[in-house]
Amino acid sequence: MSQSADQGTGAGAGTAIAVTGVGLVTPAGADEHSFWEGLCSGHSTARHCEELAGLPVDFACPVDSIDLDEAVGGRSVWRMARFVKLAVVAARQAVADAGLDPAVWDGGRVGVVLGVGVGGVSVLVDNAARMAASGPEAVSPLLVPMMIPNAAAGEVAIALKAGGPSLAPATACASGATAVAVARDLLLGGSCDVVVAGGAESVLTPLVVTAFARMGALSTRTADPAGASRPFAADRDGFVIGEGAAMLVLEREETARARGGRARALLTGAGSSTDAHHPTAPAPDGRGAQRAVQSALDQAGWVPVDVDHINAHGTSTPLNDAMETTLISRLFPHRPSVTAPKGVIGHTLAAAGAIEAVATVLTLERSLVPPIANLDSLPDAFPLDCVVKEPRHQRVERAVSHSFGFGGHNVALAFQRT
Amino acid sequence: MRGNTVKTQTIHPKITEVLTETFKVPAAEILPESTMDSLEMDSLAVAEFAVIIKETLGVAADSEKLYKDATLADISAFIDVAVGGEAAGSAVPVSNTR
Repeated sequence: MSQSADQGTGAGAGTAIAVTGVGLVTPAGADEHSFWEGLCSGHSTARHCEELAGLPVDFACPVDSIDLDEAVGGRSVWRMARFVKLAVVAARQAVADAGLDPAVWDGGRVGVVLGVGVGGVSVLVDNAARMAASGPEAVSPLLVPMMIPNAAAGEVAIALKAGGPSLAPATACASGATAVAVARDLLLGGSCDVVVAGGAESVLTPLVVTAFARMGALSTRTADPAGASRPFAADRDGFVIGEGAAMLVLEREETARARGGRARALLTGAGSSTDAHHPTAPAPDGRGAQRAVQSALDQAGWVPVDVDHINAHGTSTPLNDAMETTLISRLFPHRPSVTAPKGVIGHTLAAAGAIEAVATVLTLERSLVPPIANLDSLPDAFPLDCVVKEPRHQRVERAVSHSFGFGGHNVALAFQRT
Repeated sequence: MRGNTVKTQTIHPKITEVLTETFKVPAAEILPESTMDSLEMDSLAVAEFAVIIKETLGVAADSEKLYKDATLADISAFIDVAVGGEAAGSAVPVSNTR
C-alpha cells in the first residue's frame, strides 16, 4: 500500500501505478526486443574502443547499433549532445509502446523526469580545448545548452509536447531509478496523468573514462574486455563503463485502463535513502541501502519473503557487490533469484536504474530471468541464488530492482506482475 | 556573380555544407533568397553557424548583424569578399576580416 497521502486529482493511498510503455537504447540493442535478446544471451557487449586507444582502460560498452542522428531526425538534432539523443529516442519508443500520441494528448498533464548523472561533458571538453587553442571566439554558443544535464528532460519535453513538470534528478548511478520514483510521486500527488521517466548517460570520452579509471572504479582487464564485467564473481575487479538510455511511461492504473492502455507491470513501491557515509564507497553493512529496499516493500505492502526476484545493482566492483550481497542475504534469506544486467551492458551510470527497471518489467512479463555474464565462480561467502550461464524460466510475481549511486544514494523499485 | 558585387545568385559551398550537414536543413530549401529565419535557424543556431564559418574559413562576423536577417546570397557575397582578402563592401558591415 502506498504511503503517499491523498491529494490532487484521482490520486492517493492504494493507487496502483502502471508501467504502460518502455523504450531503451542500450549497448545490447536499441529497442526492447534486441536488448532482451542480448541480455538473455549472457554475453558481454564490452569491446575495445578506438577513441580510448592508448589509455589505461581502453574498452567500454558503447551503443553502436543505431544511427542516432537519423533516429532523432528533424532539424533540432544539431543542438543535442549524445546523451540527449539517446533519451529522445528511448522516450519516443516508450510513448509509442504505451499507445499514446503526443499530437493529441493533453500535454499539460504529462510530466518528464529524466535522470542524468553528468551531462554533455564531451561538449565541455571539446570547447575547453578550442578556447585554449583559439581563444574565446572559438567557444560554441551551444556549449551551455548542450552541456547541462537537464537538456535531456527539456528536449524530451519538446519532442513529446509535454508541458507538465519536468525534472532532471542527479543521483549519479541511481538517477534513472530516482526518476522513476519521482514519477510515481507526481502521479500519486495528482499533478500528472502521464509521466515519461527514466535515465540517460553518454560519457565514453577519454577524460571521463580515465577519471573513473584513476579512482580505481573500472575493471582493468584490457586483454579481455568481454570478460571484464563480472558482477558478484570472486575475481571481479571493477565496472565497465557503458552508455545508453531507458524511459518508462507511467500512469495511474485506473487512468491507463480508462483510456484502454495496458499495464505491462505495476510499480508498487519506490524507496529511497542515503548512506551518509562516504562520497563514493558504499557503507559496507548495507544498512543504508536496506532502508531504501524496506521502504519500497512497505509502500508495496510486502514482506521480504514475498519477493521472488532481485535485479541487482551488481556493478562488478569489489565494494558494491560485497555490500549488496550482505544486504540481500540479510533481508532476503529465502534466496530469491538474482540477476545483474551490468555483466552484459556494462554500467550505464544514470541510465542503469531505468534500463534495469525495464529489464525487471520484462522478467515479470516473460517469466524469464537473464543470466549474469561472466559469473563462473560465486564466492563461498556470497549465499545468493545468482542466475548464471543460461536464462532461467521462473514465474516471478514480485521483484525488486536496486540502484545505488556515488554520493550514497540508494533507490529500490518494487514491481509486480499484472 | 562574384567579385566586387555584393549581391550574388550563387551560394558558397561551405554555407550549403554547414547548413545541410550540421543543421540538417534540406538541400532543396537552400536558395539564394532564403534567410536564416526561413530556414528555421534560431539565434543560437545562427551564432553556431558563425563559429563554424570562423573556424573553417577564418571569416569572423557578428552573427546577429551579419547573418540573422541576411539572405544566403548576401552571406555568400560577404564570405566571398572576406575570403578573397578584400575589404568588405559597404552593403555588408564587417566586424572582423582577414
